[in-house]
Amino acid sequence: MTFAVQTRNLDVGYRNADDSVTVLSGVDLAVEAGEFLTILGPSGCGKSTLLRVVADLLEPLGGEISVLGDKPHTVRSRRDVGFVFQDATLLPWRTVAANIGLPTVVGGRHASKFDPNRITELLQLLGLDGLGDRFPHQLSGGQRQRVAIARALLNEPKLLLMDEPFGALDEITRDRLNDELLTIWRRTGTTILFVTHSIMEAVYLGQRVMMLAANPGRIVNVVDIRTAKSPDNSCKREDPAIISAMAELRQMLEQVS
Amino acid sequence: MMRRPLPRWATISLPIAGALSIILAWQFLLPAAGVPSYIAPTPTRIAGVFQQQWALLFDNFWPTLVEALSGFFIGNISAVLLAVVFVYSRVVQAAYFPVVLFFNTIPILALSPIIILIFGLGMTPKIIIAAVICFFPTLVNMIRGLNSASHNEQELLRVLSATPWEIFWRLRLPRSLPMLFSSLRIASATAVIGAIVGEWIGSDKGLGALIIQATFNYQSDRLYAAIVLSSSMSIAIFLSVVMIERRVIRYI
Repeated sequence: MTFAVQTRNLDVGYRNADDSVTVLSGVDLAVEAGEFLTILGPSGCGKSTLLRVVADLLEPLGGEISVLGDKPHTVRSRRDVGFVFQDATLLPWRTVAANIGLPTVVGGRHASKFDPNRITELLQLLGLDGLGDRFPHQLSGGQRQRVAIARALLNEPKLLLMDEPFGALDEITRDRLNDELLTIWRRTGTTILFVTHSIMEAVYLGQRVMMLAANPGRIVNVVDIRTAKSPDNSCKREDPAIISAMAELRQMLEQVS
Repeated sequence: MMRRPLPRWATISLPIAGALSIILAWQFLLPAAGVPSYIAPTPTRIAGVFQQQWALLFDNFWPTLVEALSGFFIGNISAVLLAVVFVYSRVVQAAYFPVVLFFNTIPILALSPIIILIFGLGMTPKIIIAAVICFFPTLVNMIRGLNSASHNEQELLRVLSATPWEIFWRLRLPRSLPMLFSSLRIASATAVIGAIVGEWIGSDKGLGALIIQATFNYQSDRLYAAIVLSSSMSIAIFLSVVMIERRVIRYI
């Protein structure tokens, strides 16, 4: 079995000049290649911090971590990881197409090759046809987040890290983007780690849901919901098995909050 | 209650009407109120100076324009370069920013005689005074602008393994441009002020020298004409900056 992300007794947090603050400790995690794992937990439990360690934006305070069989730093320099932030983080002076193409102009010798067809393909994949020449301020919140996802997909990452990407969107847009994300996941086979505050979203998207607790931050449980879904990880939101999985997670979340 | 915006014809014609009303009042009301012409010559007399003494005004216009523009470029370019050095070296910034801050507290009128003592009576000291006056606001704005990239934007470039040069060129520099241009707009007026102040203190050429000579000789119509010309110069530089800004920053 190959793992996309594997950690042993991992401590994550922030290092100050002469002190360190542990946010999440003793993380033992194994995410299979191609898996869709959602991460759920109360505010301040270290969900985003964990993603940042996987992305090599932050060094772990202790323990071991391997990403795609390598050190996070090696994987980041190879650009095998894509990251989508809660706010779309589009550069306002670049058009939609130029934002999606950002990985072709940065990254030194690892910069992706510029291929206009690839950008057209991504615009189509994310339902952004005809918007390539717009600037970010001319887009809706949902469209901006689609651009951010397209940019993260440009260099076909083996691992996609998503930090509450749909948290600021209205429910209809969020549901629609959830379905589109699942389609993209099925088509690309990329591994996804997806942080969310929403139990519905966690259950609808994830094959497994990892529940974290705060103070001190730790993994409480990893709930496998593959049995409640079709083999292609699709389900109906009103399916009794899905509703009971949500009830179980809600109870867990109330206990740890 | 929301007030309806003015129609387009009004946003153009009202400022013109406002300015015209003041010029007319100046032309007719001030003389009628007994204000002597050596204090406030009428607009038609000032226009007469432009007609009769065009060569004199023009001869004094060029040196001031050259000084103001050279000072504008030298002051702003060195401010931008120093801002980059400060932003990339906290040690240099910690050591020298207070020194720069101290120099900025010296009034330009007090600093100008020293600059003239050092560089003599040619154009150089005026260019330096204009440069000094542009320098500080641009330095401060550029430092803030270069540091204004958000945490997420920096993390985004890090995930993409951007090199330090790419982070500068693709993120920090474009991020700083709105702030840079807002200080360039201010500098478009202050550069002309700097050149004129320099000419006041020691020169026989330029609009500043003309202003001083006209004042001492009670040639108030010539004095007002020189003022109109220097103000037009500031406006022209300002409008050029705004035009370049609109070309460069197209995304707002």
